[in-house]
Amino acid sequence: MRSNKTKAPSLREHTTWKKAFQRDWHLYLMLLIPVALVVIFNYAAYPGLRMVFMDYKPAKGYAGSKWVGWATFEKVFRDKDFLRALKNSLIFNLLDLVVSFPMPIILALMLNELRFPRFKKVTQTILYLPHFLSWVIVGSVAYQLFKPSSGIVNVLLMKWGWISEGIPFLTEKNHWAVTYLLVGVWQGMGWGTIIYLAAITGISGELYEAAMIDGASRMQRIWHITLPGIRSTIVVLLIMNLGKIMGSNYERLDVFANTQVRDYQYQLAIYIYEKGLANSKFSMATAVGLFQSMVGLMLVLISDRFAKALGEDGLM
Amino acid sequence: MKKMLSLVLAAALLLSLVPAAMADGMADWEPFAENVTITVPVYDRGQAGVPNVESNYWTDWIQENFGNKYNITVKYVAIPRTSVMEKYSMLAAGEDLPTILMEYDYPKVTQWAADGYLATFDMAEFAKVAPTYYNRMVENNQLTYTQINGETYFAAALRPYYDTTYTFQTFVRMDWLEQIGYDHVPVTTTEYNEAMLKIKEAGICEYPAGGVMVTGVGSDQNYAWRTWPLDEKEWAMYGDYNTPALGWEPNYKLLKNENYKFNAGLTNPEYYLTNTEDEKTNFINGKSYSYGSYISANMDWLTAFYEANPDAKLAIAPVNTKVDEQAGSNPGYRTDNPFGMMVGFSNFATPEQIKAAWMYMEWLTQDENLFTFQWGVEGETFKYDDKGLPVSVSDYNGDYKMGYNNNKDYWCITVEARQAGTIEDIISNNLPHDLPQDFTEDIIAWYHDKEAVRDAGWAIDNAKFSVAMEAEAEYQTTLVNKYKEYRDKLTMCAPEEFDALYEQYAQEYLDAGWQEIIDERAEQYEAGFSTHLLNVTAEEVDLSK
Repeated sequence: MRSNKTKAPSLREHTTWKKAFQRDWHLYLMLLIPVALVVIFNYAAYPGLRMVFMDYKPAKGYAGSKWVGWATFEKVFRDKDFLRALKNSLIFNLLDLVVSFPMPIILALMLNELRFPRFKKVTQTILYLPHFLSWVIVGSVAYQLFKPSSGIVNVLLMKWGWISEGIPFLTEKNHWAVTYLLVGVWQGMGWGTIIYLAAITGISGELYEAAMIDGASRMQRIWHITLPGIRSTIVVLLIMNLGKIMGSNYERLDVFANTQVRDYQYQLAIYIYEKGLANSKFSMATAVGLFQSMVGLMLVLISDRFAKALGEDGLM
Repeated sequence: MKKMLSLVLAAALLLSLVPAAMADGMADWEPFAENVTITVPVYDRGQAGVPNVESNYWTDWIQENFGNKYNITVKYVAIPRTSVMEKYSMLAAGEDLPTILMEYDYPKVTQWAADGYLATFDMAEFAKVAPTYYNRMVENNQLTYTQINGETYFAAALRPYYDTTYTFQTFVRMDWLEQIGYDHVPVTTTEYNEAMLKIKEAGICEYPAGGVMVTGVGSDQNYAWRTWPLDEKEWAMYGDYNTPALGWEPNYKLLKNENYKFNAGLTNPEYYLTNTEDEKTNFINGKSYSYGSYISANMDWLTAFYEANPDAKLAIAPVNTKVDEQAGSNPGYRTDNPFGMMVGFSNFATPEQIKAAWMYMEWLTQDENLFTFQWGVEGETFKYDDKGLPVSVSDYNGDYKMGYNNNKDYWCITVEARQAGTIEDIISNNLPHDLPQDFTEDIIAWYHDKEAVRDAGWAIDNAKFSVAMEAEAEYQTTLVNKYKEYRDKLTMCAPEEFDALYEQYAQEYLDAGWQEIIDERAEQYEAGFSTHLLNVTAEEVDLSK
């Protein structure tokens, strides 16, 4: 498959930066906006990272706050609550990856096989919609649906005689874990198909025609043409998702919170908010955030190397 | 040592009275030569239908009537009510703290002092600029609370009726009680539990005790579960409002009762998913026996209740006056703080800005200014009743529309409640009179009963420390969150598991920082930096006197 790739013409062979800029200045001008946003919001904050080595007090600022070396990290790593949050974050992010990552691929393959264009478009729109709902709305709806005795799902199941007492979808920690992960899949899978569908459209139609002439079934075409055709996209997205393994979404965790599931719901975002921001302990919050970012970066770099060793393109 | 401290305080008080008596306050004020800008915090409660808190008719009114006269620009900065500390932290990090910082909770403001947010100031200078405000603090014995570590950081707003607060009332289903043979509202724990059981058994309501999720500080108050006489040191160590005392006997008794109610099927099994809005809806829909609410002239939920339950009869839950030996509870209750807002001044503010802030406070404390700010415009936002007392027009929606709770979040800098007439007049003016039932007489009686309970020595204040409490600042948020988790598990566990689980969680709670907090409190109590337990005589209350 890789040999069939068509190479994009290289600008370097035919033009100079000056010529390119003169020709496409309006494109470069537009590029300034995202670059400026990245610089302002991603790089301009970097000097603030020094607060992890300080006992930072907002009113005293950087100049007036005391340097404490690695004390903040030592304190964080000795904190039982941090270890609990770290463990939960790792487990849930791995589960999220296992459950959520394949779903958009499967869904994209299914959508690609739909032949009736209007039905395909309607289906896609319906699948994309949950992505545009905020977690606050998703959480509220989930509670209305899944409360143990007054949630619509349990009420219906009990009414039909399928269950005698409500299933604690969101109020018992193991049930909560499953519900939390599946709602996440529901919310993100439709939107996740976009990149795969775009990648699928890049696969040459001639390959499918040739396969059909050779008598390949639909499943064979998916397996031998479509999936290999989007393999590099899958690898890139997998690497990027591995970088999020230490991440934590406060909004999502907060809307699904209740006191009965805190054993699992207590993840790094909750730890950072409760112990750091709500307590004005910015040094602590930043230290945990930096730790998350460093581990995420390392995972991305390692998995990128690994992918390249297996002959894939990787990220960089 | 304590006597010496008292003498020093008394001497300081007398000395500081002198300049106040000599000062003319507003008569001495001159407009600033150069314009001075002050920023004043105002709560943003996210309420629909109220004007923009930072800019509205009343902020303009302040500017026109006060600011322009003294060449001061008054700006307001919105502080989200649910994230006060975070907002102030952000403002401090940007060196953009408002000129005035104010909060109700003493531990919060002491923390601000410790973190360098606040400027210290000379109370004698304050008294010269704001003698009305200052003299009122003296009259109400509030100067004790203005110092931290021996430095003056605060001025204290007035909180009328702080130890007989009547503004929050619990409404109960009297019609249900009558159906099960009661002619009165049960007040002791044992009697209440029995009544709830009868209501449930009669099939009137599935979960009469209802229930609502614990949201944070102030939950599970254990004042009524304390055993008297109580040692003062123990009171200073545990008797707090901001961090629940898991592991202390009164808390054990309280949660044991919650566990009983849950396992007896009196509490809504989904109570921990029920927020206050759901709780209100449940009461309106006849799914719980009681609902507590602040009273006001416009109580929409009561109107909705009578529309949904036209035959229902409500009653006000009476003040408890009896000791319940069986359950271990009594009439003890928490008094509010003997101050309203604690008002401090930014460490980043210039001396001119601080002086302008004092002028703002003094100006608002003047009767005529305060009256207009609290009641608005005659014929528009309020009218006079037959007695010549102001009555708010509850559904006013015109150009002079006031902020949340009659501009309360602005004038709370000087006083915590509107006062016009006697307590009977105030209560009457704070209640709707167009409902099927009128609760005015009941609440007036309730207020006088509360006075009797207070006079019998059941009003309990919390210890306040005049030093920054580091362990409290470090662990309070974490402990409150842990408490919410533990107390719900303790409420819902099987009765036979309760004791072992309570012991386990109490130990985990101690390890998570509670031990450090109570140790620090004990240390500061021993060092003489705490207020004292007032004489809680804990006598049976005789309402006939």
